[in-house]
Formats: sequence, C-alpha cells, structure tokens
Amino acid sequence: MLQSLAGFLFKYRPVVFERGDLTFTAPWPVSAAVVSGLALIGVTAVMYARVPGAATRTDRLALIALRAGAIAVLAFALTGPALMIATVVPQQNFLGVLIDDSRSMQIADAGGRRRGAAAADAFAEDGALLRALGERFKVRLFRFSETVSRLDSTGALAYAGRRTDIGGALESVRRDLSAVPLAGLVLLTDGGDNAGSSLTDPLLRLKADRVPVHVVGLGSERFDRDIEIGRVETPRSVLQGTSVAVEVTIRHAGYGGRTVMLNVEDEGRIVSTREVRLPREGESATVRAHFTVIDPGARVFRFAIPTQDGEALSENNTVEALIDVADRREKILYFEGEPRFEVKFLRRAIDGDPNLHVVTLQRTAENKFLRLDVEDSTELVAGFPRTRRELFQYRGLILGSVEASFFTHDQLRMIAEFVSVRGGGLLALGGRNALGEGGYADTPLADALPVVLEATPAGSQPFFRELSITPTPFGRAHPVTQLRPTPEASQRRWDSLPPLSMLNPITAVKPGASTLLRGDADGGPYVVLASQRYGRGKAIAFPVQDSWLWQMHADIPLEDMTHETLWRQLLRWLVSGVADQVMLTASEDRVDPGREVVMTAVVSDSGYLRRNGADVMATITDPTGEERTIPMQWTVERDGEYQARFTPEMDGRYRIDASARQGATSLGLGTTFVEAGDVGTEYFDATMRSATLRRIAEETGGQFYTEATMDALPEDVSFTESGATVYEQRDLWDMPILLFLLIGLVAAEWTLRRARGLA
Amino acid sequence: MRAALVVSGFTALFAGTPTSAAPGPRADERDVPAIQDAPRPLDRTFYFTRAAYNDRRRGPWGSWATDYPKADIQFLIGVKRLTIIDAYEAEHPMRLDDPDLRRYPFLYAVEVGRMALTPPEIEGLRTYLLAGGFLVVDDFWGTYEWANFEREIRQVLPEYQIVPIPMDHPVLRTFYDIHEIVQVPNVWQGRTGGPTWERDGYTPYLRGILDDRGRVMVLISFNSDLGDAWEWADDPFYPLPYSNYAYQIGVNMIVYGMSR
Repeated sequence: MLQSLAGFLFKYRPVVFERGDLTFTAPWPVSAAVVSGLALIGVTAVMYARVPGAATRTDRLALIALRAGAIAVLAFALTGPALMIATVVPQQNFLGVLIDDSRSMQIADAGGRRRGAAAADAFAEDGALLRALGERFKVRLFRFSETVSRLDSTGALAYAGRRTDIGGALESVRRDLSAVPLAGLVLLTDGGDNAGSSLTDPLLRLKADRVPVHVVGLGSERFDRDIEIGRVETPRSVLQGTSVAVEVTIRHAGYGGRTVMLNVEDEGRIVSTREVRLPREGESATVRAHFTVIDPGARVFRFAIPTQDGEALSENNTVEALIDVADRREKILYFEGEPRFEVKFLRRAIDGDPNLHVVTLQRTAENKFLRLDVEDSTELVAGFPRTRRELFQYRGLILGSVEASFFTHDQLRMIAEFVSVRGGGLLALGGRNALGEGGYADTPLADALPVVLEATPAGSQPFFRELSITPTPFGRAHPVTQLRPTPEASQRRWDSLPPLSMLNPITAVKPGASTLLRGDADGGPYVVLASQRYGRGKAIAFPVQDSWLWQMHADIPLEDMTHETLWRQLLRWLVSGVADQVMLTASEDRVDPGREVVMTAVVSDSGYLRRNGADVMATITDPTGEERTIPMQWTVERDGEYQARFTPEMDGRYRIDASARQGATSLGLGTTFVEAGDVGTEYFDATMRSATLRRIAEETGGQFYTEATMDALPEDVSFTESGATVYEQRDLWDMPILLFLLIGLVAAEWTLRRARGLA
Repeated sequence: MRAALVVSGFTALFAGTPTSAAPGPRADERDVPAIQDAPRPLDRTFYFTRAAYNDRRRGPWGSWATDYPKADIQFLIGVKRLTIIDAYEAEHPMRLDDPDLRRYPFLYAVEVGRMALTPPEIEGLRTYLLAGGFLVVDDFWGTYEWANFEREIRQVLPEYQIVPIPMDHPVLRTFYDIHEIVQVPNVWQGRTGGPTWERDGYTPYLRGILDDRGRVMVLISFNSDLGDAWEWADDPFYPLPYSNYAYQIGVNMIVYGMSR
C-alpha cells in the first residue's frame, strides 16, 4: 500500500530512486534557476514587509516562507530533474531463477497452500511472472535442495530434497551462467538452509560479479500452532547399565500451558515417559529425560511428543539420536590406605556388574598390601603404580583414606596427570587420612580436586559430623543422583536416607566445579559430592567416610538397592568419556545418504601423548556387511589428529573402526557408528527465515519480496548494471508530488493572507 | 570387676556339660552393666563388637560374656600393633536385637553351644548377616554344642548350608598365610600342657556359611578357643604358639570381614 502510494506521488517505485543517479536536463544552467528563484523570493519578502495591514511580524514571516517554498518547487521543476538508470536490454540478458525443491516446501502455511505451490504457479509456463520476465530476459530455471540441476518446467518439482544448501546453489548457478550476460538471480525459498555450508563466500563472489540476487521468501515467519523438539543432547557413547539424563528443549507456538507427554524409546521400546507443561508463548521448555541404557550396541533412541490437535507440522515432534551402548568392562583402581568397611561394601555394590571392574589395593599394615580382583599375579605387586604406563591402564582411580605423604611427589603429579593428560576419572573419598586431613592441601593433587582443601592446624580437634544429605538443584537433574526411575521418587528416597558421617570439613568448591550433594549439620552446609573437569578428565570428591551405611543401616530394607545404584552410577560417571588411545568420532551420527561424513581419530601412545607419525586406517562396514578400508591423514593443525571422509550411500548403520600403529606397535582401536537414513532436518526450525533471505538480497544488491509483493519483480530486476544494459532517462519534473506541493503552498499562502486581512 | 569377669571366664570354660533344661533368664534380663554402660562413639573405623545373646546357661552372666572384656581388649591391642586398622580400643558388646547392631559389620560370638536365640534376636541376626554383616563364632566344643549351634543358626539362615572352609580360602591368606587349623586350648589346659580338646571336640574345624556370591557370612571356629589365647597372651605360662596363631587368624578374620 505504502509502496503504491509512493509510486503514485513520485511517479516511480523506490527502487528506481535507489538505483538511479539524479541529473538536470533543462537547457539553461541550474544556477540560473537558483538565482532567479532567490531573486523572486527577495522581491516577495520586500513586498510582504511593506504591505500595510494588521498582520504581525510572525504572520509576515510565515507568508514569506510559504511563497518561498512555492518558488523553490517551481525552480526545481524548471531545472529539468531526471534520473539516469541502467536497465537491461530486452532479450540480451539471462536471468537465473532458483526454486527450492526441498521437503520443507511441502509445508502448507501459505494461506493453506503449500509453499512450493506459490513458486510453481508463478513460474509455470503460462504463469504471469515467468511471462513478464520472459519479455525482458532469457530465463533459466533451476531446482535446488542439497544439489542443483536445471529445470525445464516447474511441473518437475518434487519437493523431496532432504536438505537445503542455498550457498551451494547460488555458487553453482553463478558458475553455470558465468559465460553469459547475467542480469541477476531470483531465489525462491523458505530460507531453511541446513546444509551447514557458509553463505559468506558465495555472496562475496556474487557481489564481486555485481550479480544481484532477488529473493522471494515463501512461507510464514511463525507458525500459529506447532510443537517442536529442538536440542537433544545425548552422549555419543555410554557404558551399558548407565543411567542417562538427556536434556531436551521443546519449542512451541499456540500451546502455552498445555501438558504434553515426552516419550523416550529405545529401538521402539518406551524407556522413559514424563509430563511436560509447556511454558507461555514465546518461551521454550527444557526438560531432562532420565532412562537407563540396558541393551548393548549402537542404538537409536527416539524422543517424541504425540502430535497435538491443530499442529502445523507433526514431523518435528520426533528427534532420534544414536548412542553407542558399550558392553565392556571398565577397569578402575581403588587404593585404600587402611582397612575400611567402605572397601567391602563398595566391592559388594558392584559385584556382578559385568561392566565395572574395580581392582582394589588396600594397605593393611605399614608396607603391607592386600590386592583384590587383580587380573594376574604381577598386577600391583609392588604396590601403588610408580609409572605412568602402569597407572594409565586404568580408566578410573579411587583414592580412599591414604595420606599424601605415602606418595612420592612424582606419584602425586602422576595422579594429577592421570586426570589432566590421560583423561581419566579421579574419585577422592573422605576419611581420617584423606583430603585436607591427609595433607593434600599443597600438593599437585589439590589443583585437580573440585573442592577447596584446608590444611588441618596442628593440635586441632578431629572433625566429625553426621550429615543429612540432599541433592542440590544441579544434582537433582544429574543422572548420578537418580536412585529411582523418576525424579520425584528419587527425591523421596533422598529425603528418607539415614545420615552419613564426615571427617573432612569441606564447605567450598572451586570456581567452575559443581556440587551435586550437600550435607547439613552444624557449621554447614558441607560438600558431599562435587565434580569438575580438570584437563581432559574429571575429578570428583565424595568426602564422606561411611556410604556403606546406606546398605547396613537398620532403616535400609534388605531388598533396597540404593547403595548399589549409587555406586554403580557413580563409577559409571567416573569413567564416562574417558579417552582411549584411539578416539574416533564422526562429524554426524545421523546423516542423510549421500551426505559426506568426516571421521576424526585422535591417537595417543600408552602415556597418552598425542602421536603424529602413526599409520591410521579406517575400516568402514556398510549395512550389508561389506568392508572397505581407507587411510586417515594427519590434519597437521592438531597433534595426533587424523581425518578421513566417506559418504554413506544407503540407509542403515555404518560401523567405522580406526586402528593405529606406530612401527610394529599397535596404538589401539577406536570405533564409532553412523546411522544413514531420513533425518527429517527439513522439518525443524522450518519457518521462513526472512533474516537470512534479507541478508542475501542486501549483500548482493537485490530486493527481498514475499509472495504478496513478488509481482514487482519483473520491473525491479530490469534495473541492473549486470549483463547488457543501457542507461534510460526518467524525468522527474512532472512528478505529482511537485504539483501537489505547489498547489498546497500557494493555497496555504492565500488562506493565511485572507485570514490576516492582507488579500 | 575384671577379676570377676576372669573368674566368670574360667567358670565358663569349665562349666561342664550344657543342659537341655529350660533356659535361664534372658541375657537382657540379667544385670550386665557392660552392655548398658558401653560407649557408642561413631567416629572410629572398626569396633570389635561382641554379640550379646540369650542362652540356656544359669548364673549371673550369659555365656556370651565368656572371656569378656579382657580377651577383646587384649586382642585389640594386638590388632592395632599388627595392622593399621583404626580400631576402637575398648570392649563393644551389642545385643542381637539392637537395631544399631547393623552399624557394626563385624561381630564376634563365643560359647554358642548354649545359645538360645529369641525371635527378635533371630530376626536381628538374620537381617544383619543378609545386609552384609560378618559373624565370627568361637569357643564351643564337641558334638552336643555343635548340635545346639547348628539348630540356632538354622533358625537364622535356614536356606544356607554350613560348609568347610578349605585351606586355600582367602580368609586364610588375607593378612597372614595360615596353612594349618590349630586347636587352641583353654587357659587351664594350655598352662598345664594337658590335652588341647574339650569334651569330644578332638579336631579343630574352620567352617562357614557362604552367601549367594560365595562370600563368608558366618565364620565358625569349632573345637578351638581363640578367645582364651587372646586373653592370656600376656600369661608367661600360656604357650606362645597358640596366642600367635590366635592373633594371626583373628587379624585375618577382621581384614577379610572388612574387605570381602
């Protein structure tokens, strides 16, 4: 409407003024018109000053200004103003039209019509837009999604592309038409670019070639009613039997206050269900879904919300994630400095757990050790490991009540490096010789621990408190504190557990550390469970001395599994994400067939120093069982990092094994999985992305249109400096706005004169 | 008081044959100040907890208190010297039906040949053992006392069998390597060099009740008197080898009970 009004008043649409250069075409110089105008204004001023009457000085000044305005408008028109603008030579230029052929164009949010229908209609062979453009240009149609191809007619559009690569499409068409005079490109899309490639480079090249991209945004910028599962953060790999907490973000429009169910399925079997009350309009809900992974192997977990009435899209209510559930035995060293019941009951808690192997080294007397669950007669035969190779074979380390002075300085550094370099998990328990009371305050280990250690003053009374233990708000959401299947049941269990005792007064954690459990008693609250990342690994402090009471206390029923559950989860957490010598990851765990996957292997030696000169091979097993082996190349950018690429060609699960050797020495094996299939990317964040589309138009000198405004395209596209063009003169002296201004000023002057009695 | 207890201990040793008459007063009905006055500190790692149970014995003291408390205290002196266990140094008796019993996962019972458990004691001991507690039984002799103990313990753990502890069992390797089960005589026979057996208990045995995972819940030292060997270890007339053995297997029992 505004554009139409402006077009009427100014004779031309704004785009003409934007593109054209102002010039004056009268046979006399502009200065003559200016001087004449000023002279007339001067005469007018003198006359108004001398004319008799009752008018005030202000009235006379207003009258002079009105007359001066009218003279100025007249003088401007007499200079013969005009715009010089480049326009295409008819039929001498090409125009590339790119139509989005991806799945999101099937979304029917364009007044009940599919997005693709608007584009297809406009550029159908008998369509008005194509005909209008065809009068000026040689039009070339292209379809694009993840790839680009020529299009003979819009009838061939299938809207089946699984991804949209706008940058790639623009670059491809620019190259395709680089040999012909190209007046510009027209891009019809919803802007859902999800290929992951950058738009910046293609736009810079188009700008350098002075090829404007005119963009027609299809679809609505907001759905009226829709629920979408956004971010789902799952671990890539977990140990079998692990309790997992997955954070799920749910966006919605039009369902504020409604309660919906979030279901988690493990290969079709529901493993978790929870109610989610959707927040008010414009806000997202972030919830944690808790479940335990039971079956081993690479498994697809599905997070789904049932389709609600009136939803614009149902496809975005489901997200799938691939989790490698590892069925292996994680080896953990538990070093206890004295006989304690914690040893007995920790070992019992994990007894029979096929995925946890705790090797216990317990000092029973000075220089006398008891070894339990060692793999052979030589393991730990000399006591606590003295070499990195010996210590780093474990993935977790539990330190019990053992004083710091037991260790050499190098052993303390080695333990710290076990966390920071090897990436292992360290769990420090409480006890009379542990933590601050064990003299760790100024040791290399103090840096690694998540809690602030205070040196015990000489002669001070031993500390002892019985603590009522509860999870912190952060801890409540953490999988390690999930003692029961639901968060509510877990909280009830925590509330009913008997107190534990503490000999180490820990009240503060380091900046960046997280507290999961706290204990209340005099002088508290005290830190009962805290963790922090330290280098590549994690360090956990659990400074109570008798967690076994949660097994033995009279209030604990015999069938209660709290103690077992807590320790099994705690130790799984301890070793989760611990590095192997060969760590293999894929750039995406779920991809559409035909999409390239980058595999990255990080290779270390037995001391977990990154190795660059290794021979690393990736063996890819496709869904039919066929194998192929490709070499992985050192990336040069990072020590020990090797990469290779492959493209899954069929739906199904791909297994990738990377093996590394250095000379005759094997450095290890890493495995990851990629699930190829329909990811449904097109249906997520599927509203029209006007910000992206406006950026494309603005950066290349094009215009942004919607379905409602794209009728102006043929004319606007004509004004371009690309291709074969001529300059046209567009007169401005006869713009209606000048006439209206002149009449308005003169009428106002006359009216004022009449009112003041000067007529 | 100690003298009285020693006398009581000796009395127990030579108390003659057990009687099948009606049981005497319950342990908790007798005047046993040692239990009522026992301190209950919580900040130590290990408590040598003596089981106070009901029995069929007549007299002011229950058979549970045989050698009590000198054997316990003297044994703990040795435990603290030989190991680094943070052991509570004093005697620590507890009734089997006390809910707090489960705070102390090591339990020592003697003279179980006269044991006559009440239903609350049976329930208390059963939950204690099934939750993870460890019971050592000592100082009972011969066929009759065995039969009594077997009858009592079957009420506690009817679904479990009593089995021999083989010589390569970890309980015999945990701290000291023990290659022989020695019959430890009572103080009188030890001092005089007389026979080491009592009644018809000629051969010492180490037996046990194992849980479903093969871990020892109840360790039974039968036809042997470790308690006297601890109690009289400071007696120059009591043969040192018996005390040595008693300390060794006693330490092994504790370390096993704290780690398995």
